[in-house]
Amino acid sequence: MSAGDGTPAASAPVIRVDRVSRWFGSVVAVSDITFDVHPGITGLLGPNGAGKTTLLRMMTGLAETSSGTVTAFGEPVRDNPALYRRIGVMAEHETVYGFLSGRDFVRTMGRIRNVPDLEDAVDRAIGLVDMADAQHRRLDTYSRGMRQRMRLAGTLVHDPELLILDEPLNGADPRQRVHFQHLLRQLAAGGRTIVLSSHILEEVEQLADTVLLVVNGKLAASGGFRAIRAALDERPYHVRIVCDAPRRLASAVVGLASVDAVTLDPNGAIVVLSRNVRDLQIELPRLARTSGISLRRVEPLDDSLESVFGYLVEG
Amino acid sequence: MGAVYLLTLRQLTGRGRLAVLAVLAALPMLVAVLLLRQGDAPSVTEFETAVLSAMLAGSIAPLVVLAIAAAAFGNETEDRTLANLTLSPLPRRDIAVAKLLAALTVAAPFIALSAAVTGHVAFLGDARATLAIVAAATVGVMLYASAFTWLGLVSAQAIGIGLLYIVLWEGFFSGFVAGVRLLSIRHYAIAVMHGLDERRFAGGDHLSLAAALAVSAVVFGGFLLLSVRRLRRMDVP
Repeated sequence: MSAGDGTPAASAPVIRVDRVSRWFGSVVAVSDITFDVHPGITGLLGPNGAGKTTLLRMMTGLAETSSGTVTAFGEPVRDNPALYRRIGVMAEHETVYGFLSGRDFVRTMGRIRNVPDLEDAVDRAIGLVDMADAQHRRLDTYSRGMRQRMRLAGTLVHDPELLILDEPLNGADPRQRVHFQHLLRQLAAGGRTIVLSSHILEEVEQLADTVLLVVNGKLAASGGFRAIRAALDERPYHVRIVCDAPRRLASAVVGLASVDAVTLDPNGAIVVLSRNVRDLQIELPRLARTSGISLRRVEPLDDSLESVFGYLVEG
Repeated sequence: MGAVYLLTLRQLTGRGRLAVLAVLAALPMLVAVLLLRQGDAPSVTEFETAVLSAMLAGSIAPLVVLAIAAAAFGNETEDRTLANLTLSPLPRRDIAVAKLLAALTVAAPFIALSAAVTGHVAFLGDARATLAIVAAATVGVMLYASAFTWLGLVSAQAIGIGLLYIVLWEGFFSGFVAGVRLLSIRHYAIAVMHGLDERRFAGGDHLSLAAALAVSAVVFGGFLLLSVRRLRRMDVP
């Protein structure tokens, strides 16, 4: 499976994950996953506990695989420190050296990575994340979003070709989120390979050229976002409708082309199963108006990522 | 390597920790002064057994070193910042050496100073005896530091395990079971002291100076190699 749609298929992958599994005792966290990553932004998407972090940890060499291999730039990532000259990793946990200033942290990360022209590189990295004003404050005085940005600066200070970011937008406010997304697009446009994980569908949709869907430790789907989105659009949705005449509305909506099934829940609301929510959005108000029924509430019941993944895995 | 060393120094030099260690390190000096002010001063053998061996080499030095060396990696595995170091091109050997050097930099002055003042007071300014005591204490600190740095990397309960080791192995068994002395850092240190000043410290069932130094080198290097091996193979949190 290639996660590099839109790039020449013949080009060597930046990362190759080959039949990778990881288990902890009898618990299988990642099961027989294979994919390639090419330049551009690849989103690793999955609900919490799906195995994304375990997979990313194996991709970065932090954790051993139970079976299978991970290579980056054609070399094994495990026990290969020299490879980290080309890789920048921002792990999920947000702990930092609180006693350091933001600038000292980035400088230390640069020193550890033997960055030439260190002070210039530190200025550049801090500028990229827009943290110049707060760079001399101690890290333990930062907000969560500021800490994340300074951690990203520490990840970028050696100008890596490959960036692996685990839930990088955690804690970012909307403005920081926009800045972050702009920065990642800019880095990807410069030819870098970026892998980022998220449990938020929209986040990955806005950023990633390619999506890897991980559910229950398995790769449920991969490819361009449009293909994934099309699969999502075709899945059946449950819609809950609260109105002043539920029995009358229930018998009327059964006749709509967009409705597959109708049930009444114990609270007197109607639950409609629809494979065409767009048409339902148009037909339902029209039907209510012509029947003289007042709609009080219309809400999707299963728009959670888990239900989307459940559908995709079963499909 | 310098950056890891400096970073670790910052991590290990909290004021509270240093204050506790200073109090601990002052205890042998205090005991030496009190003993000498008694009318019935102890013999050299009694002083060596009670203060230099049991207290300085067997209790204070390992406790001070444990508090520092176990935290060299322990703090970072606990708060998950170790990945900042392992996700770098630094050879794992350099990371382990930098951590160990930082632990030694913080711990050694406490124990060396404590040993120097204790020796100077107890042996009335005898430079050779004082030097022998300081050298022995330094050897002890190096061995404990190498062992406890490794322990901090392999176990989240390094302090608890280290305390058990100090009390049971170095304190209890090695004092009563002859064979255990051959596997006791405290006794390697004391053997170095004997070897460097045989005038003052008469030998008993001790190792020769050469054997003590050789075993010390093996223990020091062995635990350092174990740390490097662990860093290469562990799942970094």
